[in-house]
Order: sequence, then C-alpha cells, then structure tokens
Amino acid sequence: MSQLATENTSNGRTILVCCGTGCQASGSLEVLASLRGLLAGEAGTAVRASTKSTGCNGLCEKGPLVKILPDDITYCQVAAEDVPDIVDGLRDGTPVQRLLYRDPVTRQRYRSHRETSFYKKQHKIALRNIGEIDPGDIRDYLDRGGYRALRTALSMTPAQVIGEVLASGLRGRGGGGFPTGRKWQSCAAADNAPRYVICNGDEGDPGAFMDRSIMEGDPHTVLEGMIICAHAVGASSGFIYVRDEYDLAVVNLHQAIRDARAAGFLGDRILGSDLSFDIEIVRGGGAFVCGEETALIASIEGHPGEPRDKYVFPAVKGLWGRPTVINNVETWANVPVIIDGGAAGFAEIGTAGSKGTKVFSLVGKVVSTGLVEVPMGATLREIVFDIGGGVPRGRSFKAVQTGGPSGGCIPGSLLDLAVDFDSLAAAGSMMGSGGLIVMDDRTCMVEVARYYVNFLAGESCGKCTPCREGISLLLETLTGITGGRGSIADLDLLESLSATVRAASLCALGRTAPNPVLSTLKYFRDEYLAHICDHRCPAGVCRELTEFYIDAGLCTGCGLCRRKCPAEAVSGEKKQPHAIDAARCIRCGECINNCRFQAVRIR
Amino acid sequence: MKIVIDGIETAASPGEMLLEVARRLGVRIPTLCYHEAFGGQGVCRLCLVEVTAGEVSRLVASCTYPVTGEIEVRTTTPEIERIRRHIIMLLHRRAPGSEFIQELYREYGCQENVPAPDPDERCIMCRLCVNACEAVGACAITAVDRGTDKRIDTPYGEASPDCIGCCACAEVCPTKAIGVSRAAGHYTIWNREFELERCAGCGRPFTSRPCQERIARLSGQELSGAQLCPECRKKQAGSRVALSMIP
Repeated sequence: MSQLATENTSNGRTILVCCGTGCQASGSLEVLASLRGLLAGEAGTAVRASTKSTGCNGLCEKGPLVKILPDDITYCQVAAEDVPDIVDGLRDGTPVQRLLYRDPVTRQRYRSHRETSFYKKQHKIALRNIGEIDPGDIRDYLDRGGYRALRTALSMTPAQVIGEVLASGLRGRGGGGFPTGRKWQSCAAADNAPRYVICNGDEGDPGAFMDRSIMEGDPHTVLEGMIICAHAVGASSGFIYVRDEYDLAVVNLHQAIRDARAAGFLGDRILGSDLSFDIEIVRGGGAFVCGEETALIASIEGHPGEPRDKYVFPAVKGLWGRPTVINNVETWANVPVIIDGGAAGFAEIGTAGSKGTKVFSLVGKVVSTGLVEVPMGATLREIVFDIGGGVPRGRSFKAVQTGGPSGGCIPGSLLDLAVDFDSLAAAGSMMGSGGLIVMDDRTCMVEVARYYVNFLAGESCGKCTPCREGISLLLETLTGITGGRGSIADLDLLESLSATVRAASLCALGRTAPNPVLSTLKYFRDEYLAHICDHRCPAGVCRELTEFYIDAGLCTGCGLCRRKCPAEAVSGEKKQPHAIDAARCIRCGECINNCRFQAVRIR
Repeated sequence: MKIVIDGIETAASPGEMLLEVARRLGVRIPTLCYHEAFGGQGVCRLCLVEVTAGEVSRLVASCTYPVTGEIEVRTTTPEIERIRRHIIMLLHRRAPGSEFIQELYREYGCQENVPAPDPDERCIMCRLCVNACEAVGACAITAVDRGTDKRIDTPYGEASPDCIGCCACAEVCPTKAIGVSRAAGHYTIWNREFELERCAGCGRPFTSRPCQERIARLSGQELSGAQLCPECRKKQAGSRVALSMIP
C-alpha cells in the first residue's frame, strides 16, 4: 500500500485495471502484472503512471477493461500482449485504436466508455464508486467522499436519520421492495435490545451479480450504510451474510472491515460519538432459500436455512429473537448517498412509488451483457435495446425474464413498460433482486417455465406442503408438456395449483414460485397449445416435438450446417440445397443456430 | 382483546396463537402438523384461515399466527376450501400408502388423478416425529436434504447413536410412516437394533435400556435394577394408594 501511496501522489496518469470476477476470469490480473512490470521499467521517463485494480465496471462482455485517467481512455478486451502498445500510447499521447470500444450496432469506436450507448443512459448511485476506486484501499473511498455521510448521520439524532431515509422513499432492493425507513422505524421502536443489523449478501439468482459487484468493488459503502443504520436504530453488532462462492467479496469485505476499524469507523465510540458497533462476516452454505431473510437469520443462528412465518417481522423479532434490520447489499449502498446528498435529491429520481435507481444484471440473448444501473421507471426497451444493444445474430426479441427464477416472463408487447416495483408486479413478474434475462425467438417459453420450476424444486427448503409438493407436481406437469405428453386439462391444473402454491406457501420463495408458469401461460399460451394440440415446439427446443428441415428454396448449399451437425444428419452437394435426415437428427439445433440464410426451418 | 371467529366474538390474550383460541371456542380448524405438546410449526398449511384487520384481508397459518390486535377471522371460504383440497391431494400424491391420507382424500372430495412417484410412501413430512424426538431430548432424527428431496432421517441414514429406541416418533406419527420391526427379544427402529428389557413384575418385554435411562434422568431418579412396565407400575402405585387408605 505504501508503494501505491507514492504512486497516487505523482502527477502522472492513473491506469485503472478492472479486477472484478468477470475481468479476472478473462485475464485482468496478468494485464495488471504486465502493466506494473513495464511501468517500473519506465521509471524516470516521460511515462509517469500508477496502476490500480478496481471492482467490476459492468461491461463484463468486453473485459478485461483498462481505463486511463485523466485522458479518459477506455480499452476493452485487453490481453497482456497489448500492454506494450498501451504504454507506447501513453508516451506519445495517442490511444491504441484497436483496443477502443466499438459499438456493436454502429461499429463506431469510442475513446471513453462514458460516450458509449452502454454507459450513456445509466445513472450510477449504488455503483458510483465501482470501477473508479481500488476496493482494497480505504483512502480511495475517502477521496470520493466516503464516510462523510457517517459523520453527518452522527451529528443528527437517530430519529432524524430515520426521517431522512423515510423521506427518500428508498425501498428494499432485495426483491420485496419494503420501505427501508419503515423497517428501521419499527426496529428502533421495538424494545428488547440488543438490536442487530444484517446485510443480505446471499445473492443466489442464476445470472445475477449486482450484489457481488458491490461487495467486491465498493465494500466500504456497505459498511457505511450499516453503521449509519446502527446509529439510527441503536444496534451494537452487525453481520454480513455472504454467499460462500463469493471469495473475492469475502476477501475485500474483510480488508474493508479491518481498515474501517483502524480508522475508527467501526469499534468502540465511533468517531468520538456514543455509538459502538462492529461487523462480522458470516459465509452462507450455498442454499438459494437463505436469501429469504428469516431463513438467513436461522442460518446465522446455526439452524438449517428454513424460513418461518413472518407474522412478526424480523424488525421486531429477528436474530436470536431480537429486533433486527436486514437489508440487501444494494439497499445499503444507497444509504450513504441519501444521508450525504439529502433525501430530497434522491426522491427526485425514479417513479412515484419507486425512488432512486436500480441495478440490473443484463444477460441472455443480448449484445452487451453486463451490469447496468438506471433510474427507476426506465423502460425495458431502453435497457434491452438502447443500453444492451438488442438481440444478437439477427434474431428477434421474444421475452425478458425479470426477478430471478421466481420472476416472470414479460413479452415484447410490454417492452415500453416503465420498470419499477409496482409495474413489474402488475405485469405478473417482479423486480426481485434485478436479474434481466433476454430471450430470443429460439427460446421455448414452456421449457423456460419448466427450467425455472426445476430450479425451484431443488432450491425450495422443503418445509411447507404447498411449496415442496406443489412445485413437484408443477414440474411433473410441465415436463409432461415439453415431452409431448400434455393435455388441455394440464393447463387448468397448472393454473389452479399455481394459485394454491402462491396463496398458501410459507415464504416468498413458494409464493412467487408459480410466476414463471403463470406469466408464460398468460403471455405465451399459444406455445403451450402448440405443444399439447399440435405436438410441435414452435421454437424448436423440445426434442420430442421438433423436426428440422431445410427449405430448398433458401438453402445456398454453403455446407455450414453439414459441418456443424454432430450427428452427421445433414447431407448435400456443395452449392446444392442440403437435406436433413430426420431419423439421424438429434434435434440439437446446431444447424438452425448457424444457418445465415434462415433456410433451416422447424416443422 | 376481543376477536371474532366465524361470527362468534371471543377474548384472546395478546400473543396467543389463533388456532388455540379457535379450539378453545370449539371452532374446528383442520391440522396435520400441529400437536398441543409442541405448538404450531406452519408446515402443513392446512390450518390457513382468512384474517381481516381493518381493510386488509390475508391468509395466515392459524397455528403460527399470534393474535396482536382486533381481528375478524373466517375459517372457511371457497379459496380456503380449494387450498385445503389441494394440500390433501398433494399429500395423497406424496403418501398414497397411508390409509389416514386415503381417508382424507375421500373426505375432501379430491378428484385430480395424478400419478404418485412412490405408491408405498406414507410420510407426509409433518415433522411431529422430529418434534417428539427433540422433546425427549434425543434429537436423533431431523428433516434432511432440501427441496422435493426433503425427508426425515437420521444423519446420513445410519443407525444413530442418539436414538434411545423410545419410539415416540412412531407413536406420534399420524400416518404410521415410521416402521418398528419386532422380533423375539429385540426390535429395530431407524436402522438401530435394541434389546427389549423385561418387566420385573410381569416378565413381559417392554422397552430398551437407553430409554429407561433417559426416563430416569428426565424424572431425576436413579435407575435401579428392577424396572416395571407401565402397566405394572400403575398396579404398584394403585396398591400403594389402596394400602395407604386402610386405616
């Protein structure tokens, strides 16, 4: 750290290398090592630059990302071999053209990531520091106004702090959307101290990595939010429950807690006030259901991760039966901004019922996958098409699945839906923790419902009857339909059973589990009917119900499908129309996915 | 505080479970996972009722819902009936081997013809056995695994050293799902074999040694050599009382 200190004070450039999990997987640590090596050799020359490893920048698709300040240059997909060119570029002040971001639609190159369509429409609050600071260095956080909100909060009374959070309109970002201020209020009002503060970092939705990015890339903002809450509700200890697979998050959080203690932000009499508060990390055991707050609390207590009925909220009776505030990582990241900038400014962003921004992990059949933060009320079209660049490979958009496995599928006709907690619920889906999975026309919606219900069948805790047995029967029925054994009566069973699972299950996992079934039945009923009545899968996914053939009029005889076919089922002479032998075909879809002339069709 | 259940006004103490208030009032709410000895678990969800507080109505599990304010309760509505019927249908699909569940299936008029994965299964996962095992202080069985694979078992399905062979689990099970196999002089439960101790009075085999030790410990007595079966103990106590009454 002492080396960084001298580097930071030099007047040279700062090179930020993204070392989020995504970029590390594409080799950013090698890039960083190579940069440090080359720059050491440049000591005393005109190239004066220091390096920093940062958290996730969001555009994981184009990683590893390297940013140069103050030039404001962003390089994409940098490999260690590119480093000499980057250093040369520093010497003569010209960016390396081939490494600049190229817009997937317009093919135009951009010098700074800020100019790109992926970043231009974003509004960063929770992610404000990520990618800009070294998460392992508390001074970087302090330089960007870190812990200023804590000082402000400590100069206010607890009631004033809660008043600000209430006035901001902040709602829980973990999925439920419960007003954060009200939660704090009931915890503060409940006697029976000690009170506890918990950060829910058990992000388990497939394809979601919002919370991981924040814990990895800006751990101090989570700590600061929790300390402010401790002051507001009168808590003396806090826990961060982190999903066990998030190694880097655990390492960075531990470092942050150590540094915060050393700086007097955690421990006894914080910053000379009466507040004494400390935080410890609990590693989860890998159960999806532990993201449910009562299951999470049970898990911290050492019990199996099973939820309980929430007729008395954790804010009144939570960890070890004591009043407990439990908020999601992203919610905590918003708190310092609200206290520092004031509730009024925060409440100006967003919609009437949902204030501020929301971080989404945009994945699936979309050109630019990654992490995006937009104001509440941005439309799905803006997120998927303007920011995400739309559906790749010329395919057409079919649906976007929001809210994790127990969210729903929203069709193209609702693309202009302004996304907030209430609009998504009204559309039969939910905000969840913010997963957005884009699906194209090669996606079978019955299979999508079956896939998510299968996930939930394995991840339900199995405690209550409607969830454990209901999901099992939903799965069996859906598997029957995708396997070509469905009947019209199945649709009635799916609907009425879904209503029971939704109304009778013990926790939110069960109560939302029918969403994938009900939303696909609502918006894509024709696909269910095609499976049942016509014995065909319109998307060509369900193997028992699919037959591919080649339209001789469209086939150019390029031979690509013949070469790609793993079953040697395609035959044909060069430049002559090809044909598929249905008996040999294993319905894997390689031919249709690769054909550039739309000549492979589904019967 | 005053609450209204199915139109009948009654008094409840704050924090009292709604199901218990209803039972006191004589209103029948069906349950499977509830037992007076253990309290509510909220597992089977058969005891769902509709609670209205002010303008807001919602379904709650009456066995885990503590009364905290003035509420109006409806213990049956068309929706609740559908849910109860579905729960019985789902439990019948899970445990078609249980006569008790077969009877409920007929009683509730279930019609869905859904094939059962295991025609011999009898366990409905109400967890009363786990509660009983905990109550005697053995904690030999629990709900293991998760999701649709959840089941009641000993750790790793092996004979548990914590099991005392008291058979409280089998006794409390409403569906007779816990097997106790008996042979001359011994019996087996949860894969563990126990010797049957004989009654010092009548000479009939009646329980295991670990079970006698546990009972002695729980009642704060020394376990002395001769043990009587419950029947002989009753007789002994009776004759003691009778003798004491002779002037």
